[in-house]
Amino acid sequence: MITRISNDTEFRAALDGLDPVRQRLVAARFVENVIALCADERIARVLRVAGNSEASEDELAEALKTARATTFDCHTRCGSEGDWSEQEGYFVARAATAALTPIGQMPSGPAWQAALSSRMAQTSRSIVTGDDTAGQEGTKQYRILSEFLDS
Amino acid sequence: MSETELLLWVRGPALQIATLVFLLGVVVRIGEILMLGRKKNLAEARGSAVAGGLRTVLSRMIPDRGTLRRSTFNVVAGYVFHIGFFLVLFFFAPHILVFQDVLGVSWPSIPTPVIDAITVVTIIALLAVLVHRLQHKVMRFLSRFQDYLVWLVTILPLVTGYLAFHRVGIAPPTMLIVVHILSVELLMVIFPFTKLMHAFTLFMARYYNGSIAGYKGVNS
Amino acid sequence: MSASLERGLNAFKEQIDAPVAAFFSSCVRCGLCAEACLFYTETDSPKYTPIHKLEPLRRVWQQEYTFWGRYAKLFGLSKPVTDEELTDWETLVYDSCTMCGRCSMVCPVGNDIAYMIRKMREGMAAAGHAPPDLIGATQRAVTIGSPMGVKLPALQAQIRHAEAELGFSIPVDVESADYMLLLSSMEIMNFPEFISAIARIFKHANVSWTISSEAFEATNSGIQIGVSEIAAELVNRIVTAAEKLRVKSVISPECGHAYMAIRWEGPNLIGRPYTFKVVHILELLDDLRAQGRLKTTGKEMQRLTYHDPCQVSRRGGVVQQPRNLMNMVAENFVEMPETGTMNWCCGAGGGVSSNERADDLRLKAFNRKKKQLDAIHPDAIVSACSNCRIHLEDGLEEYGMDMPVLSLTETIAEHLVDNERSGSEE
Repeated sequence: MITRISNDTEFRAALDGLDPVRQRLVAARFVENVIALCADERIARVLRVAGNSEASEDELAEALKTARATTFDCHTRCGSEGDWSEQEGYFVARAATAALTPIGQMPSGPAWQAALSSRMAQTSRSIVTGDDTAGQEGTKQYRILSEFLDS
Repeated sequence: MSETELLLWVRGPALQIATLVFLLGVVVRIGEILMLGRKKNLAEARGSAVAGGLRTVLSRMIPDRGTLRRSTFNVVAGYVFHIGFFLVLFFFAPHILVFQDVLGVSWPSIPTPVIDAITVVTIIALLAVLVHRLQHKVMRFLSRFQDYLVWLVTILPLVTGYLAFHRVGIAPPTMLIVVHILSVELLMVIFPFTKLMHAFTLFMARYYNGSIAGYKGVNS
Repeated sequence: MSASLERGLNAFKEQIDAPVAAFFSSCVRCGLCAEACLFYTETDSPKYTPIHKLEPLRRVWQQEYTFWGRYAKLFGLSKPVTDEELTDWETLVYDSCTMCGRCSMVCPVGNDIAYMIRKMREGMAAAGHAPPDLIGATQRAVTIGSPMGVKLPALQAQIRHAEAELGFSIPVDVESADYMLLLSSMEIMNFPEFISAIARIFKHANVSWTISSEAFEATNSGIQIGVSEIAAELVNRIVTAAEKLRVKSVISPECGHAYMAIRWEGPNLIGRPYTFKVVHILELLDDLRAQGRLKTTGKEMQRLTYHDPCQVSRRGGVVQQPRNLMNMVAENFVEMPETGTMNWCCGAGGGVSSNERADDLRLKAFNRKKKQLDAIHPDAIVSACSNCRIHLEDGLEEYGMDMPVLSLTETIAEHLVDNERSGSEE
């Protein structure tokens, strides 16, 4: 059976139906898809933990801490000159943080938030390049989720 | 000058001068504040500025719990000496007679032994307050010459009054009274030039504070 | 005297009004204000005593507006304010003060110290003593329209992104809409999901709203640095756009000082009342709740607390509304010890977070918030100011505390009943 997800309602419903570990794993895949936009190599390390179904509680907690620290380091401080190419990295870090956040701590659900932040990383890219890519990352994520559910 | 002449002088011309300086000074200082005015607030009000102002005049008498916990000594000692000073000044029978002379009204007095005890407590509180001011990191940092001068002119009337009332033998009774009255005149004359003005201006400050907050719908 | 010092002193003089004079007349140097200021309590450094931060202004008041002070000055007996002194005071006025106003709440004689700090900044800026980071932000605000350099195309990209997610369009430049939403650059750059959250809520509650492409920036750097002409210019842009679109009301987003700027200072800066109302997003959401137009389902089960952004709560008057909203979506809402108008500042507002020089001090001051949190052990913090949010996160991370910081608006949006995002067909 090939799962077809064609809009955000189906996408989100499918995500909500996953257990915590699988939410984390698929979230990690969303972030993987945009990892190129993040220059900070801490995120690559963090993602390896997020994408590991055997990761221990301690490893996950440590990775979450690193992801949060990276997110703050990458954010644009209030009042300083914003740089959208740096914001790409910020959103990737936020996505990674979401992926590792325990369920119940985020009203919107970790996988959904990871998906959103990954899309925002792409939006930041589009602001830099001037291309209109609205919705494109979402489509890619539907495919990623479909493949994940089928595997 | 004989003792009696001195006494007549301090109770007469000197008191008149001191009162003049005090009243004129207070009026000028308050006038200086009011003359600066303040701009009308053009933002849309959420609450009543007047009600807020009046409310804060009263509510600021009571410290919030956090302040009471963090600065217990400051608050308690402050209240003790203020209330003590106020009670001694306005409810000691001989003082009421002076007020009656000047204002034409009188009111019931507090029994003298009680006033006596209050005086002692107030003096102790003031001594403690001075020690605190010298020891506490922030107060020591903030304090200037004026703070110590004001402390002195505040405690002097209490001490000299106590000595005079008890006719302590360090000087003839008349001289003790002269010194006491002089110490009061000193306080009055210094008053408008110092932070003692807070006795009047704090009502204005609290009012402004409360009205600024009340306009926005906040109880300050 | 240098020209810039003279400008500064003149600005000080202009700023002194009856309240300022009453405040300085009444200060008895009791030091209670220090115990209310997180920059003092967490550093034990007396120079951060709030009233001390105003010392140059006090001396100008004394020398210009008290009879004995003027005579003392005449006879050379007073100490003039110097450039060196203003240099020394720059870090006190800008790095160690967010204008949170907690000191103003505890002063026994009633001094509104934060009110005076705001005025003192006018003189400091005029004398050239404002932090360089703030100067940069203000310049960007004036020339680009945003202190962080956010231009319209960037906002449009964020809007398009949100529309793709939502499946419906976000109204821009719609005339005669009821509400015109402002956004802070912080939100556009760091928390753009706020835009989707608002759009969802407004669609759900059937609110007529719009964003103006000509004036979308809520942050007012002029207020932070203390240059009223610039603050007025920034407000005027919003007023012009609001009047052009003939909206009934302007919404100030989740940003503290933005609300203070547009709601309370704005009309006084531009010299006339508005022809429209101004509401904080929380006020509007609470109104919708009270009217029964916000239908939510489910509650957050984790232990939540609410951090009051100082300019919204204590200095702004929006205190009960967030609590009503919290009760709507939180099963386990616990207040911080010392809350509401007596809550403690996050330490980052009023230009402090824009000022890299103040980073260490700000993180030290965060200990105050940490102590509040340690007393109640929440699972997460909810707030309604993007700047508070990011700096709470920073502080939490610095002290190894593991909890997310959530936006109240976004949390409400997550619990709306008809949460299907009418499917964006890809």
